[in-house]
Amino acid sequence: MKYWLINFIIIIFYIQINAQSNINPRISLVGTFNTQTFLGKDVENKGKLIFNTPELELFIDDYLNPYAKATADIAYEDGEFNVEELYASIVRGLPLDVQIKAGKYLVGFGKLNEIHAHAWAFTNRPLFHQIYFGKEGFNDIGFNFSFILPTESFYSSLDLGIFKGDAISKSEVSDPENSDLVNDWRGTNPIFVGKLGTFFTLSDFTNIEVGLNASYGVHAKSDNFEKSNTFLGQSVNNTLKYFYGGFDFKYKYRPDQYTSLTIQGGGLWNHRDALRDYSNFGALISLLNQKSIDTFGGYIYLDYVFKKQFSVGLKYDYTNGIIGDDPSFFTLSNDDQNHTQGIEGWIGFYPVEHTLVFRLNVQHLTFSFASAQIKEPETTITLQMIFSLGPHKAHPF
Amino acid sequence: MKKILIIILIILAQFTYAEVNVVTTTTVIYDLVKNIGKEKVNVDYISRGNQDPHFLEIMPSYMLKLRKADLVFKIGLDLEKWLPQLIDGSRNTDLKEIDLSTDIEKLEVPTKRLDASYGDIHPYGNPHYYLAPKQVKVMLKEILDALITADPEQADYFTNNYNDYLKQLNEKIKDWGEKMKKSENKPIVFFHASWIYFADEFNLNIKGYVEPKPGIPPSPSHNAETIMLVKNVGIKIIVMENYYDDSAPNQIAKITGAKVIKVPVGVNGMEGINSYFDMMDYIVDNISNNI
Repeated sequence: MKYWLINFIIIIFYIQINAQSNINPRISLVGTFNTQTFLGKDVENKGKLIFNTPELELFIDDYLNPYAKATADIAYEDGEFNVEELYASIVRGLPLDVQIKAGKYLVGFGKLNEIHAHAWAFTNRPLFHQIYFGKEGFNDIGFNFSFILPTESFYSSLDLGIFKGDAISKSEVSDPENSDLVNDWRGTNPIFVGKLGTFFTLSDFTNIEVGLNASYGVHAKSDNFEKSNTFLGQSVNNTLKYFYGGFDFKYKYRPDQYTSLTIQGGGLWNHRDALRDYSNFGALISLLNQKSIDTFGGYIYLDYVFKKQFSVGLKYDYTNGIIGDDPSFFTLSNDDQNHTQGIEGWIGFYPVEHTLVFRLNVQHLTFSFASAQIKEPETTITLQMIFSLGPHKAHPF
Repeated sequence: MKKILIIILIILAQFTYAEVNVVTTTTVIYDLVKNIGKEKVNVDYISRGNQDPHFLEIMPSYMLKLRKADLVFKIGLDLEKWLPQLIDGSRNTDLKEIDLSTDIEKLEVPTKRLDASYGDIHPYGNPHYYLAPKQVKVMLKEILDALITADPEQADYFTNNYNDYLKQLNEKIKDWGEKMKKSENKPIVFFHASWIYFADEFNLNIKGYVEPKPGIPPSPSHNAETIMLVKNVGIKIIVMENYYDDSAPNQIAKITGAKVIKVPVGVNGMEGINSYFDMMDYIVDNISNNI
């Protein structure tokens, strides 16, 4: 896979250099380099300067024909190449002006998820994204159908999608009963995602966008659930479902091209069937008990850009679940007992547009447990450099 | 009976109402289309007159405008890099894109391979031809042809309006030419490299730019070079678009005694600038009176 990807990249560059035709796809490369230091009582490498391996993302995109486009995003992270996104979209020409997107891509759940992390004003993914979607956000394989609603005076759209569901139940989550089932945790049940977005122009300089999101499906399925509960004589469904309800908003005041104030936020309510683990009875007995849980996560940030080249900002995060835990079925998105809060501040410098970004980012996390367990607060200081090489698309609102 | 007549008149008015829906990328094109299409054309624009048309955010509200449009007129030459994203977002299959640069005699067309070290260079030539009134004649012809193609029944109406406006423009060109005569071959510094067509038409001698390279923010070292240039050559004015930050030009002006002239380069780009003629009057008067 790795060699295939490397060869593919070389061929793409070769074609681009040697065939100066207007029908070549657009190629751009984004590099990210993070230098970090961690502070806190129990953190590893406390106070040491950690130079992370640079990450890159290679974007190839263009029109396939007058009606359709295709995009590939190949990422190199943690020493590995991955296909982050690979999709085609029919952008015009279909009945009802529907747009169809198919492949692997960042799912339109919330305003932030669809935007690539390198284009964010801050460094760290919102905590609730990490808990409910994983480190890479809601990135999944499937189809999305997008409709513009007939609201004449303002823009509103409805997106309906069906996805494989990998982002909802991560393959690395371990089955409490049988670790061999790790890779087949959800079975082949698809998940469904919907988004209703509305954009209002308040004045020449002020715009606001609000959205409602939902996702529904099976997050776990296993015959083992029933086996383990025959001991209790209690019935437990072998199919566990979830419902995510989300909201998001973005407010931007931009009086001129040098100054802007952005206030953006989003949240997610998680209602799901969950299993409780009562393993305190000893190694011989592992009991499961099913119930529904409701958890929440959300973020809000403010970013102020001045003189076009500088930005300062602040972000507040809250989520159920403990960030940094090793994923297991009974933690993270199933955790309604504990929560993590984060506060993040940054100063950014953009020398020329967004071709180069330097950012100093500080994130402070605090953890709260329902039990007597204690996890000390952690602070991460990141000095980040991001560059963007190649054609530079206009920024979406 | 009276009521019935009023209703009939209202219904008839619907049939005689504008039939071509046009969106323009800038307010200069908006004004030109409005003068040719008048009440037979509905016109809206995307970039405001006081906005830099190089950089626009992709707003869904712009997509909504394009969604209802039959024609979109653009400056072209890669000025509106944001337009394809908006057109895709509009999902308007019937939208016709009219590039007004097609018959323009392009200036500053790069003859070598470009990269980002040259700044924000437009690979097909400088797109700011709308600041040269003679080039506007070419734009008008392109607009007329497109409107006639879109609504052939109104060909005579559009042609008459075109001729009227062209007559006014020719008079204005004469007037502006007279005023700018005293500026001929006078040295001048501009903020951004958008004045080549204007300078070419009125024989101005561009000595330099406040931006070190197109689209690149002024740097202290380049400011120092510009200060030397302004002092050595005896440049009296620094002309800039009113949407750019004036701190660097003001700094240069403070040291050299030159005057900073901020001008609108879009219709509605400043209070009282309600047409292309207003805009050019303002530019010509301010340059010719101060150079």
